[in-house]
Amino acid sequence: MIKKSIWVFHLNSGSCNACDIEILDILTPFHDAERLGVKLVGSPRHADAILFTGPVTRQNVDKVIEAIRAVPEPKYLLAIGSCACGGGIWHDSFATLGGVQKLYGILKSMGIKPPKTIYVPGCPPRPEAILHAIAYLKGIVTKKVKRTIFEEK
Amino acid sequence: MGRFSLLGKSRKVGVVTEKYPFKPTELPEGFRGKPEINVEKCIGCGACVAECPPNALTMEDRDGYRVIRLFYGRCIFCGRCADVCPEEAISLTMEFELTSDTLTDLVQEVKLKMVKCIVCGRYYGTERHQRKIIEAMKSQGIELDPEIMYRCPEHRADTGAKLIGLRRESK
Repeated sequence: MIKKSIWVFHLNSGSCNACDIEILDILTPFHDAERLGVKLVGSPRHADAILFTGPVTRQNVDKVIEAIRAVPEPKYLLAIGSCACGGGIWHDSFATLGGVQKLYGILKSMGIKPPKTIYVPGCPPRPEAILHAIAYLKGIVTKKVKRTIFEEK
Repeated sequence: MGRFSLLGKSRKVGVVTEKYPFKPTELPEGFRGKPEINVEKCIGCGACVAECPPNALTMEDRDGYRVIRLFYGRCIFCGRCADVCPEEAISLTMEFELTSDTLTDLVQEVKLKMVKCIVCGRYYGTERHQRKIIEAMKSQGIELDPEIMYRCPEHRADTGAKLIGLRRESK
């Protein structure tokens, strides 16, 4: 949970641009994420959180790792869209890693601590869903989903 | 045009910014949000699993249960599962706030009891599915012999062949 204003860095790891357009949407006056203190910065070194989109294409892995390394601790990562959360429609493609969890596997093997992650599923998520994630990060709202298991008796 | 002409315009337009995290938002009609399986209706036929483009729906048979697992972290909200479901058990809700800090929260699991083949003891289908087949045949005026119904597809073929007078060697 972050008390201060969140400065975000937008990191595209090979997404189809739908999630990126939704991220641009939350910065426009209509949704206006700046109400919650969000500011888009140009360098990962200035950022508190990464707005992460895309299923991490193989071409992108080393650049993505470099960008995540550059963010100072404590760092947060908002995995936006189904691609970033679980690989989405590309989860079994040869050209992608398939989601941030696989990327964290590589980070761990390199000795880098993975950032704290907030998952925002959607294809693409609504701008409100991203705002909900930011509000959750700031402690304004609570989590609404829960694992549900039904077992027939 | 004065220097402050924009001020008058902005006062006329007013505030356009939505109040979202503090007040609920409006959703358009027919919005495709989080899909949900109605556990009372689901028969475990697996039609949605075959149709799901990103394999967000998976099916597994273990320990006499058929486990249908819906993982929202991979779902692309296309709604095909709702289209193909013969029981209309799966439907898209208006929920979109799926924010979570763990992936385990983004899972719905439905475990349905399976039936054993009375010949070989293999689990081959769910109880609800078998009941559904018997009901559907009954509505068509066909009484199914339970001897045939509770056999796995292999042994069912054998018994069926014997019943209509064909000889078939059983393995």
